[in-house]
Amino acid sequence: MAEPHRPLPTALEMPANVRGGQVISLVEVTGSIGRRVDIPKLADELGADVAVLLPILDAAEMLGLVRVEKGDVHLTELGLKFQKTSKEKLKILKDRIAAIEPFRTALELASKGKQITAAQVAESLSEIGLKWHYQPDINESLIQALLIHWGIYAGLLKYDGKSGKFTKV
Amino acid sequence: MSEGLVQISAGTTIVTVDHVSLDYLQEKEPLPVLADVSLTAAKDELVAVTGPSGCGKSTLLRIISGLIKPTSGDVRVMDSEVKGPRNDISMVFQNFVLLPWRTALENVLFGLSSRNDLTEEQKNAKAENALEIAGLQGFESVYPGELSGGMKQRVGVARALATDPRVMLLDEPFSSLDDLTAERLRKETYTLLISPQTSVQTVILVSHNVEEIIELADKVVVLSSRPAHVVGELKVDLPRPRNKQSEEFFRWVDRVYSLLS
Repeated sequence: MAEPHRPLPTALEMPANVRGGQVISLVEVTGSIGRRVDIPKLADELGADVAVLLPILDAAEMLGLVRVEKGDVHLTELGLKFQKTSKEKLKILKDRIAAIEPFRTALELASKGKQITAAQVAESLSEIGLKWHYQPDINESLIQALLIHWGIYAGLLKYDGKSGKFTKV
Repeated sequence: MSEGLVQISAGTTIVTVDHVSLDYLQEKEPLPVLADVSLTAAKDELVAVTGPSGCGKSTLLRIISGLIKPTSGDVRVMDSEVKGPRNDISMVFQNFVLLPWRTALENVLFGLSSRNDLTEEQKNAKAENALEIAGLQGFESVYPGELSGGMKQRVGVARALATDPRVMLLDEPFSSLDDLTAERLRKETYTLLISPQTSVQTVILVSHNVEEIIELADKVVVLSSRPAHVVGELKVDLPRPRNKQSEEFFRWVDRVYSLLS
């Protein structure tokens, strides 16, 4: 039997509606309060509902910027560095998101100068059971939004809105 | 700093709103909206205008921009009376106001369409530069519908910056955004507008968010309910960056609330 081309259960998936700017704000506000802060206090400081905050915390944890333990948010060493630097923020994001889906698959498909679409990324990820939504059209648009907001923002992908195609930077 | 602008020292008055009143006609009867409003905005100053909901804050901003003509009084930029929309005054709107069928770059270029003094190459260069300084490098060919709220507002900021304005008017620019996005964009926008990277010499912000005002403003002008008149003016001398958790910050927030109530 052919070996799957990436490990299935351990794949990191970026939450669908979280954006880079929200993660940056979260890390900066956490750092301004202290290196450790409890989630309700953080939600209060940010004026955000805990339900809104949780996926942003998931994304920040996936990026290695925070660690969430027993209701407390801790800034990691990388998170501390991220909070303090303005020049290297995008570089840190770029380094980290390349290992997270759907960016990892998009980069793989777009290797060697190939132009790809969000539909191709969605199809490839569906084959290994990774979906952000059960409806294929919504799943594709969520992946497209993630690729645009994170992929371009971090300087991993280029996008042409007229053709809807992505290329690797 | 844009070419052609004479160096002006900090503290020089850039915008003067001089005894401005506005009446709308309602069934042939005048309905007073603004009553004898005066304020100034100086070089390198961010002036926040606040007041009860519906008091006419945004209307005042449109008068300053030249979009609405006051019934009496006038607005001057330096010594030049504002008689209509002009290239040295730009505005960023609450709801972004982007053309959905145009890409981010084309939306910024649209703001330059009346600049007959520029070639197409110069317009493109200006638009690309404005997108870059607004943090949207790489997003040139993305359509507004594909952008998040924060990024749409960055396009709005880029479009406003592309014309090399002397005066930047911000009409509740962060109120349509989620709290975390707004938090980040507030910091970035202030740093950007007050930096020598842009041509902007003064900023007038309309907002109902008192904490946002104390975080950003050098001066706060508080308006009454309609017909709006100035009930107080405060110089905010808190050092920057401002600590939103400090007691001093809350004292300033209270001062504004006491003028509002």
